[in-house]
Amino acid sequence: MMRALRPRVADGLGAAAPFVFALAIGAVVLFAAGFEPLSVYRLMIEEGFGGERRIAATLTASTPLLLTGLAAAIAFRSGVFNVGAEGCFYLGGLTAAVIGFSAPSWPSALVLGAGLGAAALIGGLWLLGPGLLRARLGVDEVVTTLMLNFIAVGITSWLVNGPLLARGSANSATPAIALNATLPRLLPPTTLHLGFAISLALVIAYGVWGRFTVGGFRSRLVGTNPRFARAVGIEPERVLVATMVVSGAVGGLAGAIHALGLVHRFVGGFSPGYGFTGIAIALLARNSALGVIVASILFGALSSAGASIQLFSNVPIEIVQILQGAVMVFATAKLGRLWRRAG
Amino acid sequence: MTPAPAVAVRIGARALTRRYGALVANDAIDLSVAPGTIHSIVGGNGAGKSTLMRILQGVDFPDAGTVVLNDEPVRLSGPADAFARGVGMVHQEFMLAPPLSLLENLILAREPVGAAGLIDWRKAEEEAGNLAALAGAAIDWRLKAADAPIHVRQILEILRLLYRGADVLILDEPTAVLAPAQIVELLKLMGKLRDEGRTILFISHKLDEVMKCSDAITVMRAGRVVARTTASDTNVDALARAMVGDHAPALLIESRERPSGTPLFSARALAARDPLGFERLGPVDLDIRAGEIVGVAAVGGNGQDELVACAAGILAPAAGSIRLGGEDLAGASTARFRAAGVGYVSADRAHEGLCLTASLADNFIAGRERDTAFSRLGFLRPANIRAAAARGLAGLSVRYGSVDDPASSLSGGNQQRLAIARELSRAPRLLVVSQPTRGVDIAGTAFIHNLIADFRDRGGAVLLVSESLDELLALSDRILCLFNGRISGELSRSEAGVETVGRLMLGRRAAA
Repeated sequence: MMRALRPRVADGLGAAAPFVFALAIGAVVLFAAGFEPLSVYRLMIEEGFGGERRIAATLTASTPLLLTGLAAAIAFRSGVFNVGAEGCFYLGGLTAAVIGFSAPSWPSALVLGAGLGAAALIGGLWLLGPGLLRARLGVDEVVTTLMLNFIAVGITSWLVNGPLLARGSANSATPAIALNATLPRLLPPTTLHLGFAISLALVIAYGVWGRFTVGGFRSRLVGTNPRFARAVGIEPERVLVATMVVSGAVGGLAGAIHALGLVHRFVGGFSPGYGFTGIAIALLARNSALGVIVASILFGALSSAGASIQLFSNVPIEIVQILQGAVMVFATAKLGRLWRRAG
Repeated sequence: MTPAPAVAVRIGARALTRRYGALVANDAIDLSVAPGTIHSIVGGNGAGKSTLMRILQGVDFPDAGTVVLNDEPVRLSGPADAFARGVGMVHQEFMLAPPLSLLENLILAREPVGAAGLIDWRKAEEEAGNLAALAGAAIDWRLKAADAPIHVRQILEILRLLYRGADVLILDEPTAVLAPAQIVELLKLMGKLRDEGRTILFISHKLDEVMKCSDAITVMRAGRVVARTTASDTNVDALARAMVGDHAPALLIESRERPSGTPLFSARALAARDPLGFERLGPVDLDIRAGEIVGVAAVGGNGQDELVACAAGILAPAAGSIRLGGEDLAGASTARFRAAGVGYVSADRAHEGLCLTASLADNFIAGRERDTAFSRLGFLRPANIRAAAARGLAGLSVRYGSVDDPASSLSGGNQQRLAIARELSRAPRLLVVSQPTRGVDIAGTAFIHNLIADFRDRGGAVLLVSESLDELLALSDRILCLFNGRISGELSRSEAGVETVGRLMLGRRAAA
């Protein structure tokens, strides 16, 4: 019994540890800058979770992270280190925004479906190339997907400064989407929108898929031991390409939901690195669905609280970036090993 | 460099014990290696030689007892500590950086530094030249390690230890990959190094080499030292008996007459390359009939791994054809090989035979998760999966906690039973088996041999590759010898003896 329990305890500690270490580092920085770390943290917790509106703000902020975290987790689970969700997020956001402002007369369900579906399709196709290159020629997917991010940001930025620039706008932004294309709000007047529910449902579906389906079984085997998977007749290459496409589709969907649910248009600098935060989330979560949900909400709280503490105190918002960065560093360090070795 | 002559034991062990779980890999080992001698350690697989060497080199640590250096008990903190005390090891696998030149490999980690912190290449070349002269070998130092012949790489590994100042050399089966003439060279080099006062620990299971070069011989079996002798006081037969012990003669599986009819498996002009792109196999022709075990005997690296990988559908052949029951499998995926009726028991249990982190149940049904018994509409049926695994394991007399436990919770021998049972549960027509009992104890070996023989008796065809000649002779109906990737001889069970097979494996003709 103890033996069966121990690894889980170690996993739990391993997942919590990056936050603890990051908070410690943040505390040092805050202290050095002349703030009182504990009171800043108390303020952040209050701003993140104190009351219905603040929780709604946190969940809104966690919505894109749920999906980019999911995109990364799907890939990592099959042993593919896809870092291309950021690019898919941009492409998906732009695609959905274009559909969102071009069909004001369509029924809402149709235009929403078209926007989300097209964004997922674009995202999936975007990563088909890296998937095939890895499967056929062994080209490192980290390099290809990372580079494609820059291309995606470049393409969307060009489009939004040229052909798709809203008339009369000086900034790089598309026209606002039509009313029929906005994802409905869940808790007006807060900004929490249907996209959160969709994202949450997808992450839960991922959890079910991973544990209870043939596809999930195969992806797990390919991810943990590709030689074994091949030897028992599963083709790792196929799983790999499929994984890449699905991961890209989820990344595209994340952008679409962000555009249709919150921003209501596509703008230059559309994502403050949601795709990369998603990588940290998946690593922290060890690819588990529950972990993705918890980590997304924590990261969401961090960014939503960060915005408001800047309003109510003179603590600079950069502290949030320090915390996020530190969590990422420690998340990749696989701290769970420390406990496992000791235990 | 030479230790003070007063020292009686340059390196050794005192009551050294190392356990891995229930397995006692080293059981109260006493070992005394005098300075300036070649001391051979012989023993079968699983005798505990490698564990002992790892401990002497500071890679592993004893649970009880101690390592002895220069008559003093010492506690090594790691391989660097061992090296600082003059102990270096050449591993079975080469530890060279392939894209670097031989010279660069030699000086790696102890580069001679000249003015301005730059590498002093002249000094490096000079030292390399001295070492080559010492080894009596002409070495082209500018050659890349990847392009150097195997025996040169092997010699470089030894010279590197000398370059870094080691006077105790642990050589772990250094001759396994060498051709006979090169083995003679290596033994000569070892003798020369010994005469200059260095101490050599020589691990081998080739007894004639051991007899040729050793001053002292220690025989290990099942984790214990069972004999201490010298080359002049013993002979190959006595050593072999000590290694094997007094156990009853290996359970001999009854051989069968060669079945008639068309072959089930048939390969023509089959050729294959290793992952580095070297031609390793072929061209070979091979037929296996239903109800027949064909054994393949070869010294490591003579193409048997590639033959197994091609037959199992893991590796695409560079040339030639493979047919199973008339179906052409050229260029087919592993999945198609398996669908056609090929089962595969890998030599690499941890990375190919099983998924150690996955549960016993998952390992048992892996590859069959699409079967209607195990999934419906894409959803797994965990109850059925667990039940099937429990049934499968029940027949194996394997002790386990739950089918949800990871495969890593089983002992090595039981893991192998699980891997074979999974393959047999798929009811294959051809079973490709590589090293089925490596690291498996005697009881487990007999069990696995019976599984394979039963499969043969039920009409299955078996391709068996093993480094153990005893195993090949006990199981095979026919034995093929591979040398340099080609079939150097074929023997029926009744014709095959250790000596004949051994000769053919080394590319010599069978004795007339």
